[in-house]
Order: sequence, then C-alpha cells, then structure tokens
Amino acid sequence: MEETKVVTGAWELSTFKFNIEGRGLQLMLKHMKDRKLMGIKCHQCGTVYLPGPFYCRKCHIRIDEPAEVSDHGQVMTFTIGYADVRGNPLDEPRIAPIVKLDGCDSWIMGVMQGCAPEDVHVGMRVKVHWAEETTGSLQDMQYFVPE
Amino acid sequence: MEKKVAIAGFRIAAAPDLETTRERLVFDLSKGLLDDLGITRDAVDNFVFCSNDFMDGRTISHVFIGPAAGGYMKDQTKVEMDGLNAMIYASMGIISGQYDVTMVVALSLTGSQASPYLYTDYSLDPTYDRQLKLLNELSAAALEARSYLTAGGYPEELLDVVAAQDLKNAAANPGQARRIDGVSRERIKGSPYYYEPLRELHCYPPTDGGCAMLLVSEKKAKELTDKPVWLLGMGRSTDIYYLGDRDLSTSLSAAQAAERAYAMAGIKDPASELDLAEIMSLFAHQEPLLAEAMGLLEKGKAAAAYEAGDTAVEGRMPINPSGGPLGAHPICATGLIRAAEAARQLRGEAGENQVKKAGVALAHGQDGVCAQQSAVVILGT
Repeated sequence: MEETKVVTGAWELSTFKFNIEGRGLQLMLKHMKDRKLMGIKCHQCGTVYLPGPFYCRKCHIRIDEPAEVSDHGQVMTFTIGYADVRGNPLDEPRIAPIVKLDGCDSWIMGVMQGCAPEDVHVGMRVKVHWAEETTGSLQDMQYFVPE
Repeated sequence: MEKKVAIAGFRIAAAPDLETTRERLVFDLSKGLLDDLGITRDAVDNFVFCSNDFMDGRTISHVFIGPAAGGYMKDQTKVEMDGLNAMIYASMGIISGQYDVTMVVALSLTGSQASPYLYTDYSLDPTYDRQLKLLNELSAAALEARSYLTAGGYPEELLDVVAAQDLKNAAANPGQARRIDGVSRERIKGSPYYYEPLRELHCYPPTDGGCAMLLVSEKKAKELTDKPVWLLGMGRSTDIYYLGDRDLSTSLSAAQAAERAYAMAGIKDPASELDLAEIMSLFAHQEPLLAEAMGLLEKGKAAAAYEAGDTAVEGRMPINPSGGPLGAHPICATGLIRAAEAARQLRGEAGENQVKKAGVALAHGQDGVCAQQSAVVILGT
C-alpha cells in the first residue's frame, strides 16, 4: 500500500453573511406574542405556508395574504432521537414529531413533551405549549404536548 | 450543427449589492423572463441551476432555489462551474429530444454576501498552494499577465488600453454593475496596484448578480420568439490545475474549446467569420490573451489591434461590446451572461453598444485559476 500523510485543516467561514426573507417570519413572530400563529396563503392554489414565504412554491407567483393557523394539530410522523444532529448521545431520548397544524398545509417540526416515547403515535392530537411570557420570538412556541 | 437549440430570452441582474436574497433573485429573474415571453412555469420542463455551494453557504444549494425558479416537481439539476457550462449541459437535454424548454439560472452574491477571496483561497490545493499563503486568484492572474506581456513583447500599458475599452462599454450598458462615467487610461493607470502589473481597474469588481436564460427546441422557438438566437457550436477543454504545469502566456483550454466549437459550427477563419466576441476575461490581460488563443486576434499583434480600434464596438473584431467581466462578475453567472450579451447583440437590442453587422458571435466562459477550464459557444441568427 502506498504511504499517505494526514494534514489537518480548518474552514474559516466567519466572513459569510446571509440576507434572509423577513416578511413571513416577521408576521409570524409579531402574532406569536399574542399566542397566535400567522402564515401566508396562496390566493391561487390555497396552500397555507407557515412561516409564510414571499411566493408560492407550487404556483411560482408572489403571495401576501395572511392566514391564521390553529395551535392544535396532529402528528404526521415522528422519531425518538437518541443523539443530537451532530451525532452526540443525548441524556434522555427526545420525541421529535412533525405536526400538521389545523388550517395549515406546511408541516412543522418540534419537540414533544408530556408523553412517554412508547405512547406517541401517528395521528395523535397535539397542541402548542406556549411560554409563560411570550416575547415575539421563536422560543414562545416551546414544544408540543398531547391535546 | 443544425439549428436545434435556440435562446428564446434572458434576464440579467448585476450590482455591487443587490440587497436581495438568493431565493428572491432567482424568483425575480425567472418570473421576469417568463413574463417577457408571456408564459408561465407550466411551459418549462427542465431547470438547470448554476451556483456554488461554498459561496451559497449551503451544500446542494440548488434544492432551496428550485421552487423560486418555478421548478416545483420538474427536473432540476445543478452545474457547479461557470454558467456557460450550464448552458451547454442544458442544451444537451434539448438536442437529445428529452426536453423542449429548459430554464438555466446562474447566480452568486459575491458582491455583498460572500467574499470572492475566500472562495478562491479554498479552491487551492490544500497541501501546498494554500499553505504557501502567496497564491490567490489575483496573484495568479498577475503571474499570468506578466507571462503574457513578456511573451508578446507588450508594454504594461496594454492593460490600461484594454480596461479603458471595456469600462467605456460597461458604462453604456445598464446591465453592468461597475459603470464609471468618462473613464480614461490615466484614471486606470492611477488606480492602486493589487499585484503588479494588475491594478484595481484591471480586475473584475466583486458582484452580486445572476442570469436566467430560456433554451428551447426548434419547434418551441417558432412559438415563443420571432428573434431566436441559435446555438451553432460548442466546445470545452480543461488544463492541469497546477500553474507550474501550464504555459501561462496563453490558454490551451480556450484554444481547444474554441477549436471544437468552430468545427461544430463550420467556422474556418474565426477572425473574419465572427462578428463579435463576448469573452470571460476577469482581468484586463486575459481579454487579448484569450482572443489570441481563440484565433480572434493575431498572436503578438494585440496591442496594435486595440490601438487601431479593431476591438471596439465599431471595429473589425468587436470584443466585449457589453463591457465584459470588468463591468460585472457574479461568479457562476459570468459566462452565461456572455452568451446572453452576445444574444442581445444578435437580436439588435444592444443600444449604444450595438455592433452594426451582428450575425455570428462567440461567447467564452472559464473556471479555475487562470482559466484552467474554458467553454465556448458559437451563436447565430
């Protein structure tokens, strides 16, 4: 076998910056302070997105019609995680469902609490557990609990 | 090559800072292009993207922008090279008969959101070239410039002459990002050195931008446009990565890519048969270097040709009548923009920079340090 040599390297990525679309996320955050979920609806195909994009991903047209979405919904699929996203083991298994909120077409992912891993199932009704004090940030929506 | 693939339309965007997101840039370019042609995404059956994961800050980055181009549930692929390669790749899907209408979208936000220095640093061989901390795109280009000037017996001032012509053309082209009114050779010569002999105004400006182009089959061309621009030939070639294994006074990749494209287009004497060329010269010296390599200017006679006005808009062999990449270089989109600017000329829509007799044009694209890879297309009416 031919000899190889190992050199270590690092990728300096700190000079990256990103512009992001603000409107749909701002709309959502503004209403989260009042424990409401606000998405954007496509006036052509009726798809409701949360957070709302500036265009319909299916129709390829600009959209801007706010649409309120329920904070109740159902589990569409789920996994029980034993490691974090970089592969490090977790102390406790973590339930991570994808939930379809009533009145919304986008499914959103979150953590589920108040339920043993063996009791979670597809089709299960759940609701958003809000923070005691909401501030208009993504942390206002803390996790899902059984309905 | 028979008339099988046509450019039906295109949109270009370029600025130092477009104050936009990648998704919105793609949406605006593609939607604008479809609106120009009076069609919707329903008419498009294939999407080819061209961007760079490293600069996008995401891997497999085209998966985020597909829907913004109208590509929901359609064929979407990406070419991670210069955009002219994306155009060639997209045209193959049409020539093969699988698709009739393909949207090509190339972009980068290297003016405002990612540093071109970072990008080129990480393109280098990590074990030697990067460790040296001497080589980047600019210093490599400077070595190439010196090599070319020496071999041709040209004075450094040739760089000012070339840049002055390009920047004059760029100033008259609303599609360009760097537009300097009344730019003179003196002003260019007064700009600071980056790496000798290259000065600031000999080099491309960091640019946000992109280009969307709709390629169509012969059948669809008749339906969609009364000004089709036909793809008559194409060719590519790639040299060795290591600068020490190349002849930096010329470009073998451009020479071979052009030779292949000429053969396909049936061109025997490019200097007399081509009406104009849009060349992806990122630095002033690359324009005559590549033009000589592709047989557009006689070797060793470039300085005389520029001084005589042969390469100007009204000259015998107009080169970069758009202003070329010294006016804008959104990495990944620049070669595709060359093809779009050539098409603009062939459609007679180039305004102040319109070349009088524009029937056959060459567009050149490149990748890698010192044009390691070249792509050439020949376009005609």
